[in-house]
Amino acid sequence: MDGTWERLKVLFPVISSSLAESEVTKENIDSIYLELVSLGVLEEVSQLICIEIDKTLQTQVVPEFWKIFDTNLDAQSDNQARERCEFQLFRTTVLQLYKKFQIINRMLERLKYLYEKSGTKFIYNFDEIFKSVLLSQLPNNFTKLVYSFYHISFNVFINTKAEEDDDDDDMDQLRERDDCDGCEMPTARCQCQELVTAFGEINLCLTRMGLLDRISGYTLTNLIQDEIYGHIQKTCRGIFDTQHLKNLEKWLDTIVLEWLTRIFNNGSAKLDPSNLKIRESISYFQKKLKYLLYEKYAKTIIDQFFNIIIEFPDSQPAIDDLKLCMEKLDLRAHLVEVLKNSLETRLLHQGVETSDIITGYVATIKTMRHLEKSGILLQTVTEPVKEYLRKCRQDTVRCVVTSLIEETPSDLSEELARSEAIKAEENERNQDEMNNWQDWTPDPVDALDSDKNSAQNRRSDIISMIVDIYGSKELFVNEYRNLLADRLLTQLDFNPEKEIRNLELLKLRFGENLLHSCEVMLKDISDSKRINSHILECSTFTSEETPNDPAVSALIVSSQFWPMFKKESMELPEEINKLFERYKKSYEEYKGNRTLCWTPLNGKVNIEIEINDKKLDMTVNPAQATIIMHFQNQKEWQLDQLSTVINMPPSTLRRRIGFWQLQGLIREAKENTFILCDENHDQAGEIETETNVVLDEEETMVSANDQREEELQVFWSYILGMLTNLDSMSLERIHQMLKMFASQGPGFEFSQEELKSFLQRKVREHKLVYSYGVYQLNKN
Amino acid sequence: MKVTVKSWTGVALWKWIANDDNCGICRMAFEACCPDCSFAGDDCPLVWGHCSHVFHMHCICKWLNSQLNQQLCPMCRQTWRFNDR
Repeated sequence: MDGTWERLKVLFPVISSSLAESEVTKENIDSIYLELVSLGVLEEVSQLICIEIDKTLQTQVVPEFWKIFDTNLDAQSDNQARERCEFQLFRTTVLQLYKKFQIINRMLERLKYLYEKSGTKFIYNFDEIFKSVLLSQLPNNFTKLVYSFYHISFNVFINTKAEEDDDDDDMDQLRERDDCDGCEMPTARCQCQELVTAFGEINLCLTRMGLLDRISGYTLTNLIQDEIYGHIQKTCRGIFDTQHLKNLEKWLDTIVLEWLTRIFNNGSAKLDPSNLKIRESISYFQKKLKYLLYEKYAKTIIDQFFNIIIEFPDSQPAIDDLKLCMEKLDLRAHLVEVLKNSLETRLLHQGVETSDIITGYVATIKTMRHLEKSGILLQTVTEPVKEYLRKCRQDTVRCVVTSLIEETPSDLSEELARSEAIKAEENERNQDEMNNWQDWTPDPVDALDSDKNSAQNRRSDIISMIVDIYGSKELFVNEYRNLLADRLLTQLDFNPEKEIRNLELLKLRFGENLLHSCEVMLKDISDSKRINSHILECSTFTSEETPNDPAVSALIVSSQFWPMFKKESMELPEEINKLFERYKKSYEEYKGNRTLCWTPLNGKVNIEIEINDKKLDMTVNPAQATIIMHFQNQKEWQLDQLSTVINMPPSTLRRRIGFWQLQGLIREAKENTFILCDENHDQAGEIETETNVVLDEEETMVSANDQREEELQVFWSYILGMLTNLDSMSLERIHQMLKMFASQGPGFEFSQEELKSFLQRKVREHKLVYSYGVYQLNKN
Repeated sequence: MKVTVKSWTGVALWKWIANDDNCGICRMAFEACCPDCSFAGDDCPLVWGHCSHVFHMHCICKWLNSQLNQQLCPMCRQTWRFNDR
């Protein structure tokens, strides 16, 4: 008995919980067989062996294998050294496991032989049991070692690949470096070759144990994902002027896939066509990786989308790439979210000038147009920009109009110049659409409420998109009119041809009707020139002429078509007044039944000031000229005194005197006393700095806002009547009443807010009293 | 100090010398044009009647042409006669 047991131990060391290798011959097995049969315990013994194998696996082999994975190498400071250690650890532990696996397998073969000799069938699926025991004890962090292992081998592989592809020159350069790129060891002790061998060996072991997929699959995907990301960051980040997608795909198909093939195909890159299983898993990997590549690349582009917008149209290739990616992946929501965010953080804050925001907005429109023809993304993305401009930037309209008609070419003025081409294009497209109705595609699902924003609307050009911020053309045209009036009245270098061209282009956009008054304004200017030259030759005017008279000319405007002039008035110097009277008389004579009303504050004056043997030649506005002319005869003025003479409110007057203070001609000696500085030579040239000189750009025209209030003035009589009859009324009530009774009148379209500010002004003017939420007439 | 004005360019609004502000027919201001015109002033002049009523010339002509028998002023129903002032 004992002898049999001992011999059995040699054959199956596992029954004594050992996995030592032993020399066994066929005779040994045969004799044991006979012994066991004669003792009648063959079946019992074989079952015992199976149980012992299970036990050894569970308590010895597998825990030993996994124990290695718990080794914590984080203490190692050097990342590369740590990875190298992990590589070796993984290698050793896999090799050990494989050795034990082989020993057990050999024992099982012997057992199988015994079974078959006795004529019973051997049923023991070791492969499955091995796998399930192994995986049932899987530790959480096992991927770390695996990751290091594959990471190192990937680096080595990439490096050898790169060296193969590189030219000789590059090779030399590489040689000069101290460390090998692959294994990051000093070049002299490069381990690449050993690493490659070890790598092949381990993969083979894992494949034989059927564990490759289970242990490495997940980590491999992760690793390659990281590598793809790294590669994209390395090659594509910040470079928008070339398309990368083809190169990336090529990189994936050649380098990454070849590496994968080597792993699955026992180290050889040549795939046996008959090996269907490997081919299948490789092509599965390929599909998955390609998807990953697209996703990573698209996200990289999207993350940098703001820069792409800024660099457009140079960044067009990047957009083309993104377009290709978006055909394969659904990234719309992501794109919208990221872009909205970056627009908000980089464009829509206090530090950015309105004109820059508009430039950004235009660039966004152009970029998104290129990305997506239908304009749905564009609409979603630019919504916050529009809202911001509408709410927080009062000067939007002015900025847009200015850049539309700017001298220097800007995006918008170029766009305006293209108006005609766009119109033609649109017509063509409309026809095309009818001819190619089969090509129609429905809107994507994330389109906003589709009936409101019809496709036609979305496809409109950039200028329409800008105008769309406010949703009304009128506002833009009004602002243009104001700016035009401003320029016509104040600028000397008026270029009629250019203005007329601009006007014609704008007409194409906004329609003849809205711009009609601008046309009249331009005509007034040219008419004025004609009338001027006529009057200056006319006898009524010349008969009274004295040699010292300044040259006078007038801009005669049609009040109905110009924006409202400020109501402010001023008393002109007497000699000028006389001149104007004469001019008016000549005009009345010339035109018959028509007369002129001068607006004294508008215009421009060319004066020459002789002071302290110096001559100053200046062009100033009438108010400034009037002021300095008064100082000619009287060197010292009290503010109120001068204010009465000129008929100008003291605050305004002080502001205008500021201009002369800056010129160093007038100083404020005492509070509200202004003196001409011409006696003291030292002071004359000195610019007054200690006083708080306020000088602002004067605007000749009433701003659009004020004009609105002026329009509301029409309803003042209605409001007066209502309040007289009904004593007191709330804001809502007044608004409703006006809507009901006064809405036949033109221009009745104002919000409650507008009415409120109008009524508040009346309260400030002490015409109304506001208390307890109702308005009343001020009876005092 | 001596200030010499070399040139002075003023801005003036032109106005019709009439006893009313609006044309009684088109209800537009005299300084604006009648609905058929685009430019006021020379291109759309006013005319005076003997009855002292004033209209855009285009407006009153249109009105008179639409009258079959009598030519009456639309404001005071007197016979319309042009006053060549």
